[in-house]
Amino acid sequence: MRIVSGGVTDLGRVRTNNEDCFRIVESLNLFVLSDGMGGEAHGEVASEMAVETIVKHCTEAQSDAGATMMGNSESTWSEKTKRLTSAVHLANKTIYDSAEAHPEQHGMGATVTTAWIDGSRLSIAHVGDSRAYLLRGGTLQQLTSDHSLVAEQVRRGILTAAEAEESEMQSVLLRALGALPDIEVDTEEHSVFARDILMLCCDGLTRMVTEPEIAGTLQAETDPTRAAEKLIALANERGGVDNITVIVVRVGAESQGWFSWLFGGARRRAARNGAAGGM
Amino acid sequence: MAKLSLMFEEKTVKEVPVGSRAVSIGRSPDNDLPVDNLAVSNYHARVYFEGGRLVVEDLDSLNGTFVNDLRVERATLHDGDSIWIGKHHIKVDASGDAPVPWDTGRKASAPRINETMVLDTRARREMLQQAAATGERVQFAAGRLKVPTLIVIGGRTDQKEYMLTNKLTVIGKSAMATVKVKGWFKPPMAAQINQREDGYYIGPGDKMPTVNGTPITGPVRLNDGDLIEVSGVRMNFVFRE
Repeated sequence: MRIVSGGVTDLGRVRTNNEDCFRIVESLNLFVLSDGMGGEAHGEVASEMAVETIVKHCTEAQSDAGATMMGNSESTWSEKTKRLTSAVHLANKTIYDSAEAHPEQHGMGATVTTAWIDGSRLSIAHVGDSRAYLLRGGTLQQLTSDHSLVAEQVRRGILTAAEAEESEMQSVLLRALGALPDIEVDTEEHSVFARDILMLCCDGLTRMVTEPEIAGTLQAETDPTRAAEKLIALANERGGVDNITVIVVRVGAESQGWFSWLFGGARRRAARNGAAGGM
Repeated sequence: MAKLSLMFEEKTVKEVPVGSRAVSIGRSPDNDLPVDNLAVSNYHARVYFEGGRLVVEDLDSLNGTFVNDLRVERATLHDGDSIWIGKHHIKVDASGDAPVPWDTGRKASAPRINETMVLDTRARREMLQQAAATGERVQFAAGRLKVPTLIVIGGRTDQKEYMLTNKLTVIGKSAMATVKVKGWFKPPMAAQINQREDGYYIGPGDKMPTVNGTPITGPVRLNDGDLIEVSGVRMNFVFRE
């Protein structure tokens, strides 16, 4: 499947430093987004450490399939899903160990939301309150669960969704990278369909912009980078109280029906011959 | 001999010795140490000796087992330790077993307002206990797990029944669809059923499905027994026990 993507990070209107970090590895269709926490610029250290560790682990595994896996994985998962989950475990340990070794870094941590598209399979690994959304057939679906106190209270029926939005406890996380030596990682596998749009974002977007606005922007703006910029502009219009980071990934439309099968097939054959001739 | 004491507000409610056999703890009355509270799973945890060490093991309980302040799946117990199950406290007497002070060595600095922070284990435990006290619904749901199922009553599909075990279900002709619709001119993705935190929602794909005869344009929450029609396929959505 043809995949186009773009990502943008922004300071917002209130913060003086950007603790978010993201990376798009186009050659792998790997997408990583992290929101750091911890005073004195250590949030930046944590989120960058998370992103770098995950990208490095996944990239290295491309050439070394036997590289050590960290954490538990289910036998039904694909190699890429296992690898991505392992990478998040490794990122947790890297941040935790660094905070243990450097007293000034105590308390630093990071959220991380990652997606890896391999053929028609989408792997998601996630910790914290950043989010992955899927827009499919006009329906926006949140793929990840927020590991925040208020989200857990909503799940347990203590708070309503409306009360959660008003809560002063929104910044309290139950799970984040770097807090404990071991961590539970949420992992999911899904099939990818033509015209799916995937979006990763930090809470700096979702606290300012509603889900219908996100869906509308993703549908209206077909260029991934411009869609990310528009969402960030909207969050800043509303006050931009936190750093804002958005990655948009669009899966290309697949040709379908016997007509395009005939002609698309011919094109593919020509492309293959061309590639073979060029080698 | 080691023993476990179930405490309630500093009073001992029950004591059981730990011998060669494991001591089971849970809400069900056939446990060695029954704890009658909705926040406690039927078979919540067990305590036993392994290689001369006293061990507590959580049995996949809903609300978790805590040793002192730490949520554990499995942990070695020391004399004077406290096991927390729901709001109940079990004192560990492992006389002869050298006590080891428990300390993470990490002190969270006071969070600044508006700064994102991670809850430490004590606060988390208290939150979970508080949640458990009001979370009867969750307990009952866990006891009788209901599996959402699609039963095909008309049209051509690759199966007659589908258990919706994934968060995202696609109905269509695509090879990746969960419910594979057969026949000419069927769309690759006719409709979708997505799991959200409060239930299952059907949404359009390339076609507009109907639920109980009413066409839907956006996600609609499905109820037990709903009739779904899309692309010439008729299905009942039911919760199976």
